Amino acid sequence: MKELAGRLTALDPDAGAAVRVIAYFDRLLETRAGLEALVRGAAVLAGCPARLADEKRGVHIRVDADGRRADDEGPADPAWLSAPLTPDGPPALWLEREGPAGVVDAMVLERAAASIRAVLDRTRGSAPADAAGDQAFVEVLLDASASETARLHAARRLGLRPGVPARVVALAGGQALIQSVPPSGAASPPGGPRAGVGPAVPLLDLPASWSAALVALRLTAEGTEQDPGPRVVHADQMGGLAVLAAAIGPGSDPIPDVHALDRAAAAAPWMLATLDAVASQSSLRTAATALHMHHSTLQDRLAHAEQVLGWSVHGPQGRLRLQLALALRRLHHHAPAAAAVSDRPG
Amino acid sequence: MTTPSSPPHHDRLSPPPFDSELAAALAIVAENIPSSLLPEMIPGLQSGAVLMRPSDDDLRRGGAFEIEERTVPGPEGAPDISLLICRPAGVTGPIPALYNIHGGGMVMGDNRTGIEATLETAQELGLAVVSVEYRLAPEHPHPAPVEDCYAGLVWTAEHAEEIGVDRERIIVGGSSAGGGLSAAVALLARDRGGPALAGQLLACPMLDDRNDTVSSLQMAGLGVWDRTSNDTGWTALLGERRGGPDVSPYAAPARAEDLSGLPPAFVDVGSSETFRDEDVAYATRIWQAGGQAELHVWPGGFHGFDIMVPQAAISQAARAARTDWLRRLLAR
Repeated sequence: MKELAGRLTALDPDAGAAVRVIAYFDRLLETRAGLEALVRGAAVLAGCPARLADEKRGVHIRVDADGRRADDEGPADPAWLSAPLTPDGPPALWLEREGPAGVVDAMVLERAAASIRAVLDRTRGSAPADAAGDQAFVEVLLDASASETARLHAARRLGLRPGVPARVVALAGGQALIQSVPPSGAASPPGGPRAGVGPAVPLLDLPASWSAALVALRLTAEGTEQDPGPRVVHADQMGGLAVLAAAIGPGSDPIPDVHALDRAAAAAPWMLATLDAVASQSSLRTAATALHMHHSTLQDRLAHAEQVLGWSVHGPQGRLRLQLALALRRLHHHAPAAAAVSDRPG
Repeated sequence: MTTPSSPPHHDRLSPPPFDSELAAALAIVAENIPSSLLPEMIPGLQSGAVLMRPSDDDLRRGGAFEIEERTVPGPEGAPDISLLICRPAGVTGPIPALYNIHGGGMVMGDNRTGIEATLETAQELGLAVVSVEYRLAPEHPHPAPVEDCYAGLVWTAEHAEEIGVDRERIIVGGSSAGGGLSAAVALLARDRGGPALAGQLLACPMLDDRNDTVSSLQMAGLGVWDRTSNDTGWTALLGERRGGPDVSPYAAPARAEDLSGLPPAFVDVGSSETFRDEDVAYATRIWQAGGQAELHVWPGGFHGFDIMVPQAAISQAARAARTDWLRRLLAR
């Protein structure tokens, strides 16, 4: 007997095939078929492997053209035909075949994606409709005083898998992102907000990861000339800076070295970026390269900077003093707000 | 056998639902195969519009098999028959063989019908496949089909060494009408002192010409090979004798009084098909006669679901169960 894919492609694509694809998925929905049957339908009707990856809900299913379950967590090829589960969402269903899509392929993708969305909504709850809805669950998950049941429920709704560690990313602006570890994407995309990244922990320990992420966020910088430094800081790489951060509250007076940095910043527009490069690079030569300037230009500028600061930055001790001053300056700029000291996202 | 108790008196017996994936695929399958086949449709079916015939290359499976067509003597006084012999390439020495009898309701198909799935299993297990071409009803009513099948089996056993087959390990098997003919050939081999069979693989076998079980009534007009189609097939084979008192067990094995002394049987069937009850009964009667049978009833399966929709989860499970039985049988 011919197989289904053969039967479909043999049909007149304009007239018959599309109708049959629609009927096929409608029937699966009517009989309450599961996700695997829907992904298998896509694979079999298209005649190539199909995969579903819904990161939000932690669903990964891949079925080959023979209908066999063959999961593969590797990345999807951007050239494959794909469809999102929501109109403006990321691709979530792929036919592992390069375009252009024929009439049957396009219809299979469209109907399979719509059917999968319906089953996901029915069985695993609606995907968070917007950031506000999302944040409500995040809030519960990060609230150490909420019951474990409530927090685990929130974790499920956010698509976190039990037993898989997660971390909190604190974004400048107060938003919290929860990511399974290893994460599927960057903590903050290039050009995105500053981010403090909490350590990976079991789901019920996420409030602690959130606290650490907020501290890390205070050590980030805009990465501009006036606020040079890293846009993303990982809490588990802070070391003793975490202790320093705890010492700097909203009412703390800056030490003289921080005032000295502010004076230096006012003296020349290049000053802070130059000092940051010297503090963070392994040598003056690499600092000059990072700043796209000649080595001798850097030497001239440093002479000027040391005059304003009042200490030499050429030796290890001077560089440590500079690093601490830069860190303290950020900590003063990003003082913990009263609310942010608690375990709640802003 | 007769129905043990009368079916419930509803205007319409409610059938067990089809498996979800099979139901969705059935809409597409049914375009080529209507549920109810009538006698006047037989010539069209025989012309091969429905059944796809694999090419020699398909059968070779990328060089895994060597194939050969042999013309061998048919039954006494009847024409020669043709055997399609598929041997794993490069294998010498006697290996087990599956003697394959194709399906097609006694009225259609040839010795390549549905053989690709069989070859896939054979490749996995290292089996030879010998597939018999038998004469079809209604041009050739009973006993032509079953006698052709039996003659081919006798030749295979007698020439086992010549074709590299272990004559102690020949399993007869087939789907649908092929399953019924396999059961009949096993009865004939027992009663005539013919070749000793290692097993009988009866996939959704067509066993009972009376066509009056609850399942056959339940599934009327539904799925694949409904009560009307079944009537068409049996009437083609038996003419007016169908359903009457004088039907041979070699035509309809459900008629056999004695099911003892048969080789180990594998019986599978869908819960949503005409043959469900007669197939379950056949396995049950083998046990009752002190024999060995393995029975699988696949919930929501229509007739031939694993061949027509091989990708469905339940089809994969059904095929795996068959392969598994063969593996255990041959490991003994």
